[in-house]
Parts: sequence; C-alpha cells; structure tokens
Amino acid sequence: MIDFLAASIRIATPLVFAALGGILSERAGVFAVGLEGMMLMGAFGAVIGAWASASDLLGLAMALAGGAAMGLAVAIVTVRYRADNMVTGLTVNILAAGLTTYLLHVLAGSSAIQVDPLGPWPIPGLSAIPVLGPLLFAHPPLTYLALLGCAGLSFLLYRTQTGLKLRAAGENPEAVFVAGSSPMRLRFTAIICGGAIAGLGGAVLSLQQVGTFTDGMTGGRGYLALASLIVGRWNPWGAAAACLVFGAAEAFELRLQTYGVPVSSYVVQMVPYLIALAVLAGLGRSTKLPAAIGKPL
Amino acid sequence: MPKLSLVHRAGVLIAGATFVLGLAGAHPALADDKAAILLPGSINDQSWNALGYSIVKSLEPHGFKTAYSENVADADEGDALRDYASQGYSIVLGHSGRFVSAMEEVAPDFPKVQFIAVSGNEGQAPNVMSIDWNNAQFGCQLGLLSARMSKTHKVGGVYGLQGVPNITAQAGGFRVCATQAGAKVTIIYIKDMEDSAEAKEAALSLIDQGADVLTGKLNAAEAGLVEAAKDKHVYVTGRGYDQTKIAPDLVLTNILEDWPSMIGNVADQVKAGKLFGSFVQYGYNTAPVTGASFGYQPGQAFNPVVPASVVKELDTMASDFGSGKRKLVPTEHDARPGS
Repeated sequence: MIDFLAASIRIATPLVFAALGGILSERAGVFAVGLEGMMLMGAFGAVIGAWASASDLLGLAMALAGGAAMGLAVAIVTVRYRADNMVTGLTVNILAAGLTTYLLHVLAGSSAIQVDPLGPWPIPGLSAIPVLGPLLFAHPPLTYLALLGCAGLSFLLYRTQTGLKLRAAGENPEAVFVAGSSPMRLRFTAIICGGAIAGLGGAVLSLQQVGTFTDGMTGGRGYLALASLIVGRWNPWGAAAACLVFGAAEAFELRLQTYGVPVSSYVVQMVPYLIALAVLAGLGRSTKLPAAIGKPL
Repeated sequence: MPKLSLVHRAGVLIAGATFVLGLAGAHPALADDKAAILLPGSINDQSWNALGYSIVKSLEPHGFKTAYSENVADADEGDALRDYASQGYSIVLGHSGRFVSAMEEVAPDFPKVQFIAVSGNEGQAPNVMSIDWNNAQFGCQLGLLSARMSKTHKVGGVYGLQGVPNITAQAGGFRVCATQAGAKVTIIYIKDMEDSAEAKEAALSLIDQGADVLTGKLNAAEAGLVEAAKDKHVYVTGRGYDQTKIAPDLVLTNILEDWPSMIGNVADQVKAGKLFGSFVQYGYNTAPVTGASFGYQPGQAFNPVVPASVVKELDTMASDFGSGKRKLVPTEHDARPGS
C-alpha cells in the first residue's frame, strides 16, 4: 500500500506543476492547451542544462526558461495577435515536439544524453517516522516544490491584489481596465509564468525521474494536467488532488496487470483515461470556466 | 459564464492533428543500386527511427545509394512505397511490421523491387520479405540468466505492444525459460515503448513485489527500466551498450541487434539478382549471422558478476538452439501480463 501511494505521488508530481501553470493561464483568461509543449520544452531544457553545465540548478533554470519560451509564444499569438487559443496551444505542442527533436540531434548527435537524476531529500527527523516518513518526507526536491507551488499559487490568487486582478482578467477584463491595470499585460505575464511552472513539470520527468530526455517524453501528460485543472475547478489544491487521483489510477493500472487479470493490457491501460472522462463528464454540468476565457482583448 | 466546451476542444485537437499528419507525408529523395527506408518517426529520436536510419546507411558499403522518408503516416505507406519503387530503387525497406500490408499491395506492380519489412513477421512471394532476429531464443536466454541471478526467485519483464509477434516471442521466451529455471515471472506492458518515466514506474512496481532481476524489450523507455534498477539496486538487462553506462554494477548484459549484418546479407543477394518472398529470421541456427548477441561492453558479453557456470549454461543453450536440439515458439499465453 505504501509503495502504491508513493507511486501515485511520483506520477502526480509532473502533472501538478503543469496544472498549476495551466491555472495561472486560464485564470487570466487564456486556455492552456499548450501545456504539453511547455512541459516538453521544460523536460528538454532541464536535461540539456544539467548536462551542459553539470549543475542541476542550471538545469532547472533551463526548464523554467524552456517552458517560459513556449508561454511567450502563446502569449504573443493569443494576446497580442488575438489568435484562437485552442489552435495556438495545439500548434505550440507540435512546435515543441519538432523543436526538441531537432535541437537534441544538433546538440547530442546520435548519442543518448544521460545525467544523474535528482536524488531524494529526506527531511531530517520526519523521514524516520514509520510508514509516513518514507511516504511523505523522503522525496526528491521537486516533489516538495510542487506542494509549495500549490500553497504559493493559492496565496497569490486568493490573498493578493495581483491575484484578484489576475482572476478579474479572466472573468471581467473591463473591470481591470477600470481599476487602472492592463488585462493584456496580466494575461501576457500569467501565460509566461504558467509556461515556466509547466516547464518544471517536464523537469520532474526528465531530470528527477529518469535523467535523460527522449522524444515526446511527456506522452500526453500535459493533456491530463489540463483535465486535472478543470476537475479541480481552477483551484491549485483541487487540481493537485485531481492529479493525485490520476496518478493513483496509473499506479493502479500498472499493479492491476501484475495480478494476472485476464484482460488485455490495452484495456487495463485505459483505466486512468476512463477515470478522467468519467470525472469530467460527472463535473461537466457544474463546471464553469472563467467568464472571459478565450475572448481576445 | 460560458459552459465548459470539451467537445470543442477535442474537435480542434483532432482536426489539427489530422492536418499535421497529412503534412508529414513522404517525400522521397531522388537517388543505380539504390535503397530507401520508410520510417514511422523522426531519425533524430535516438531510438527506433534512429536505428532505422542507421540500417539504411549500413547499406552504403554494400554499394547502395540510400534515401529515407520520415514520419510516414499509415495512410501514406502505399504511395511512399510506390514513389521509391517507380524511381528505380531496388530495395525499399519499411521500418516495422506495420508496412507489410502496404508492401503486399504494392509489390505485384514492381516485381523487380525487393520490399523488406524490418522486424516484421511475414512475407509474400516473390518479393515481399520480413527480417527479424529470433526474439524467442534471446528472450529464453534472458529468462535463464535472470532466474540464475535472482535471490528472491522473482523476476520481472517490462514490455510494450502486447500481441506484436516479436514482443510475444521475447516476453514469452523469457517467461518459459525463467519458469523452467525455477523463478516466478511477472510481466507488465506499458502504453508507450518510448516513455521512460512510465517504464520506470512499471519496473518499480515489479520491484515492490519482490522482483530482483528485471528485463524488457522497449525502445527509448529501456533507460527508465535501468534507472529503476539503479534506484533499488537490483539487476537488469538492457538494449545496447548505453545502458551499461547508466548502472555498470547492475546491468548484467545487453541485447545487441545486428541489423547491418542481417540486412546487408540480404542486400548482397538482391544485388546479385535474387529476390525473397518470405519471413527470414536470424538466430543461433543461422550462424554466423545470428541477428543479435549479448554485450556488456565491447569485447565482453556479460557483467563480471555473472558466474562462469551461468555463462556456460547460456552458451549451452545457444548451442542447443543452433543445432536444433532445442526449439521454442512462445504463445501469447506465455507472454501474458501478470504472473
């Protein structure tokens, strides 16, 4: 059971970062369809940065920069040029897939890049607690950072004036104008920062979990994060809980196979996505998007 | 406030993806003995498609000019094959068994062209062939090796694409021979053979259940398998020398696929005017070209931790496959997920 819960947390961590980035973008009024591309650029930046500089910190900085760069692309096209959010997000995802493949070949040739993954940071004292210690207090650094990110974003959104303005940019941009701020600037900043945070989600996969970058390694996790933030009603803690449910579903799917259930692995592998669909369908009627989302200014 | 419009989102995504896949169709380069390969993905993926590129390039020393097409979508396979065949290419390869159907359709119109499905499992006379190495033989050896190196007598395998013949052969061979050697085998299939994070989680779940030797047949995701073994300090087998570098103490050996010899052997005969219309499978029974071999590092087949007695057993098994004393055709039941 402990192993199962620990696996759920590991699988959920990259999703949490991406969902937090998406919340920032969608709360400000721009659909976060480009999360997959932002994660992928972050995953690429993290490994290339750590490999080139032999510094994990620079790797993380590159992850932030990679995700932010994709965010910048979305921001320019959707906010400045008022393009359709969905098409722009999709295009950015395809751009990131092609760009990372090309850059990987240019930088590394045909050899695989391998760095030491980030190791666990056991919290002194707490990590020695039976059961809870290894489950909650012996994770690699980015897992703790994901939790801090939830707290930080909740504080920003609901306890600060900036958060209020940001939410207003997604609900009622005219009110932001009236208050003397620029909703366009808010959206621009939110998408770029959201991209950077989603980039850290990619870094969890590449730098924290496997120590390498492979083509398309995000494998659709950006879309699962998108579903999570909807299920979580654009609330950081709600989205994190949804990510944990999806993480648990995937951990369960892997374990279900080992029990010898007489069902094709292809069917078992659908479990997390069936859960996502069921939850989305269940919440669909009551879910309300930010009022001005997707509407150009 | 507007209601959530998931249908709209999905529609846009599907339309966009279809458009992009359409754009990614094959555009063969122009190339007298010429060979081309159609690849399902990009040659820069450091994985399956990079291998495909290296396969066609390996034909240059055999006197072939080479070309390739990347990102060939299923719907474009027939057109791409026809393009190369009508341009005078004498060998047109497709990099996976999925190209066989399209080849069988196109081949009658180009009777002098040799069509080859890399890693396929069927052919059509006179000029469509599949080439692969005998996954069952090498999977069986991995099963024996794993069972002998396990202290818990529990071993695990992580694979993708359940039901694909060469996967069934290797996973099934692994189960049959590890079980015969006294180990309990558990197999997990993952969704994506390129997803190293998913492979690592699958491997960790096997380790959680007591497995202390892991193996698998994955592409880029194989690195995740080795990372899991490194994290939990259990033995693992890899695919290519790169994996030894990740965990030199724990990687027991790697399967090294010898496509240049397999394809080169066929290409030389095609050049001499011979055509093949069958499935050609290389293994210990086709030596000196065996299609694959084991390698821990150049010049060394196994990690020094593997006892000489186990290496001797493995060599005997190879000899038995070579002489025909031992034969193995794993079933889908042998390769089933679970225990």
